[in-house]
Amino acid sequence: MKRILILFVFASLLFTACNLYRQDSYQEDYVVESYLVANAGLPKVRLSKTVPIQKKYNFQQTAVSKASIEIRKLNADSSVAETYPYAQSSPGIYTSVVAAKVQAQQLYQLHITTADDHQITATTYVPGDFKTVNKLQDRYIYQSDNQIKITTTPSEYITNRQTYYIFTVNALRPKTENLTPFYKDLVENNDNAIENYYVNSSGIINEGNYDRNADGTITLDLPWLAIAFYDSNAVTANAIDDNMYDFLRSQNVQTGGSTLSPGEIQNIRYNINGGIGVFGSMASDTNRVVISRPSN
Amino acid sequence: MKKLSLLLLFVLIHLCSFAQESASINGYITNVKTGETLISANLALKDTRKGTSTNTSGYYSLTDIPPGTYTVVATYIGFKRFEKEITLTAGQKLRLDIKLTPQEYQLDEVVVESEKEKEEQRNIGLAQIKTELIKKVPTVFQADVFRSLQLLPGVKSASDFSSGLYIRGGSPDQTLILLDRTTVYNPTHFFGFFSTFNPDAVKDVRLYKGGYPAKYGGRLGSVLTIYNKDGNRKEFQGSATLGLLASRASFEGPLKKGSWMMAIRRSTLEPLLAVLRQSNDNIPSSFYFLDMNGKVNYDADPNNKLSLAFYSGVDDLNFPIAEDADIKINYGNQTLSSTWTHIFSEKVFSNFTVTGSRYFNFPSFNIASTPFNRSNNIYDFSAKDDIEYLPNNNHEISTGFWMGSLTLKLQDTFDGKDTFGSRIKSLYGSWYLQDKWNLSDRWILTPGIRLNAFSEGNYFKLDPRLSLEYRPADRIRLQAAYGRYTQFLTLISNEAFTGFDVWLTADDGVPPAYGNQYVIGAKTIPWEGYGLDIEAYYRSMKNLFEPDPFLPDQAGLPYRDIFRFGSGYAYGTEIYFERRVGRLTGFAGYTFSVTRRKFPNFNEPLLANGPARFYPPKYDRTHDLKLVLEYKLSSRWSTTAVFNYATGQAYTKPLGRTAAFDFPTSGTNLDQLIVGRVNASRLPPYNRLDLGFTRKGTFFGIGQAKWQFQIINAYSRRNIWFYNYDLDNNPAKRKAVKLLPILPTISYTLDF
Repeated sequence: MKRILILFVFASLLFTACNLYRQDSYQEDYVVESYLVANAGLPKVRLSKTVPIQKKYNFQQTAVSKASIEIRKLNADSSVAETYPYAQSSPGIYTSVVAAKVQAQQLYQLHITTADDHQITATTYVPGDFKTVNKLQDRYIYQSDNQIKITTTPSEYITNRQTYYIFTVNALRPKTENLTPFYKDLVENNDNAIENYYVNSSGIINEGNYDRNADGTITLDLPWLAIAFYDSNAVTANAIDDNMYDFLRSQNVQTGGSTLSPGEIQNIRYNINGGIGVFGSMASDTNRVVISRPSN
Repeated sequence: MKKLSLLLLFVLIHLCSFAQESASINGYITNVKTGETLISANLALKDTRKGTSTNTSGYYSLTDIPPGTYTVVATYIGFKRFEKEITLTAGQKLRLDIKLTPQEYQLDEVVVESEKEKEEQRNIGLAQIKTELIKKVPTVFQADVFRSLQLLPGVKSASDFSSGLYIRGGSPDQTLILLDRTTVYNPTHFFGFFSTFNPDAVKDVRLYKGGYPAKYGGRLGSVLTIYNKDGNRKEFQGSATLGLLASRASFEGPLKKGSWMMAIRRSTLEPLLAVLRQSNDNIPSSFYFLDMNGKVNYDADPNNKLSLAFYSGVDDLNFPIAEDADIKINYGNQTLSSTWTHIFSEKVFSNFTVTGSRYFNFPSFNIASTPFNRSNNIYDFSAKDDIEYLPNNNHEISTGFWMGSLTLKLQDTFDGKDTFGSRIKSLYGSWYLQDKWNLSDRWILTPGIRLNAFSEGNYFKLDPRLSLEYRPADRIRLQAAYGRYTQFLTLISNEAFTGFDVWLTADDGVPPAYGNQYVIGAKTIPWEGYGLDIEAYYRSMKNLFEPDPFLPDQAGLPYRDIFRFGSGYAYGTEIYFERRVGRLTGFAGYTFSVTRRKFPNFNEPLLANGPARFYPPKYDRTHDLKLVLEYKLSSRWSTTAVFNYATGQAYTKPLGRTAAFDFPTSGTNLDQLIVGRVNASRLPPYNRLDLGFTRKGTFFGIGQAKWQFQIINAYSRRNIWFYNYDLDNNPAKRKAVKLLPILPTISYTLDF
């Protein structure tokens, strides 16, 4: 029995000496960032590199210069329909040398060749455009029964999937005295920076939460939680592509709140070949409203 | 042909003659003071190799006894040895109900027992924990069944804040939890800090860590069966305990032909919360948990017993988290079971049970007049029957069925509108057959088969089981087991907080998870009053289905698409050494274990577009050592100590960082961590020492009283729960989130 015990302990020690799942080491990666918005002009492209976790991060210091960058409009068979060349406007930031409008329901490709001949590519399909068909009130009383309702035409996508929305409320007069009670508490009593709420985002909301009206439109209710400031606000409904969807949902998990155990971290889903980052697109529709304080 | 017929006739006559000549004894073994049945009590015929043990109803049967005079010996730990001389005639079926007397402890006493009698007939992978130990070991704030189980080798905890059971590499949902034969779906109080099982109400706790028999099914890993007390059949008695976190009281007594038991427990945090609210904002405005256990038993006649058992528990929280924002959570379980125990004959015993179980969970948030509500209910109604048939002493045949209806109703509403909703009604059924076959004095083979059916998806799964035991000598049992296990349910939970637990089922396109288990072990009695067990296991896990943690919103998605499907495996070795005699008693457990998981689109190489890789989940600890000791200083004073040392849990160490500056829907930069292999790093080792002191006395002559003073984490080691990387700092700052500091607790118990 003693021998069996010794054998088991020895075998255990042997197993643990052979650690086949080792921590790997840092590797530097190229980082791209660019977003196409339907009916807007061609966006800028950022190109930089990652830094090790223990180092200070600064975009200017990691910016990548002298890269050859193009955005290409693709046909359905992925052949190139048009090419828009880019030039460096400042370290790590490139802008289009031609003026062109981004088309909805169109495939685009980002193509980068760095000075050391490294290639980075990514593809995005711009979601279908949509517009608000109902007339919003000029003024809404905060937390009244009369909620902001936006009725829009649907947005189509290449795979016929449901639309992924993100609602943003952009405060046009973001002063401290204009903060709504919940956000005022966050800023004044919980040391959150007021700038965090200048643009308040709902996070990703599936179209499946809403019923389609008989005429095919969708009515979206804006929750009062989205309103961080009284006075003028720009309320935008955004329909995002798969790249932005993958990026944002996996970035949210990195910051916590999912069922993953604390300390268990997974890389973000980048959908970039030859690098990391996000080359995404979306369609948007914006309305302006004024939020008044309740009378009491 | 004629010769064959004659031969067969001769054999038949011989068998019948033998059957007519042999005798049998059967009956219940109970506690003479309370009438409580004793589970796994040993019974043997002195100076023979014949023996058995009582089943979960406290019933035994010993057949194929040649006529003659014997000394029946019955033993059970903590009770005096029972001896009675009996004479059996040919064909006699003697009903012998045995009453054992509790043994008053005397210091330095060594109990001498015969080789056969002191053997505990435990199956492979089975561990038992005594309720007295549960109440004695120092635990955070109050005695807890699950935290005591976490002391056993092979059973791990996620953190000091969690009572969840991570057994042999499995997550908590891989363990079936039965209270009086009824499934409990969220067995936690205080959001996972404690279990729902009141130690005052519990009679028997046994854990099949792996390789569990065909009688059970529905989970990949383990089975935990808990039986509440029946109640004192002789006299009224009660107990009350006052503690820092919660207080409890239990009462039991006889009925004309039976007994009853009631136990109640409630948190007593209100005064503490009121004091804290005076100087802190982030304190709940109200919180409590409450549970009740009850049982009524009716002994209709020696061959028929009826029982009705119930449990009801709730946790309720009201927490204003900020101005114009509050959280409310209300969750709990209710179970009801009714059992008819019937002895058909000395060879056939049956337990028929009707069960009902409900789990409910109603979290709600209201932030800036934007409400979010969830209604989550599980209803599980079933009927089951377990039959034991002993045709002779070589075979112990068990068979039975379990069938029921499982309804899972989940509805989320956001801002007054229904969003995600799911209503699943499944019918489930299983049937099993097993034979514990004594091949010889030294070999026992137990083949079994279990057939499982699940209506959602029309699944039929066959799970074979096999175990083999060899006894080369009286004090050594070598065991091996194989089993296939199927699981139709999965749990969405968070290791830190079980207040939002949701169960989902297999369905079309969502096949059940399954796996194989291989276990080998040796159970020995190296010296009188000692036990040494060694087990090694390997488990495979296939089709692990769980909700995709990367889905921000499930609305509009087909049921299949809300899941991710993966696989896993686990292997390890456990050593358990126990001393049961003398002033110093206790056990030491060592576990070496490895567990891994793999899911698509997770833990893939960042740029290489390679496949997903296996990774260790956070609760994977390679080495785990536990020491539990009790020392009886005198008849009044005793002290207990629990020491745990374990190598670090797995975590992911970020390697790099970057940021997105222009994300159109965000007003701030979006920081990103770059990682390599998920969970490839290890936290520092965990160690903790808990001490307890107990003083017994009396309370003004009314009854026995007991003070318990405990110090949790006696040397205040600040073990690390996880690391948080704050990217608002540049460079990023790593902050350790720590577990419990030193915590003294005190409680007072009165038994009357």
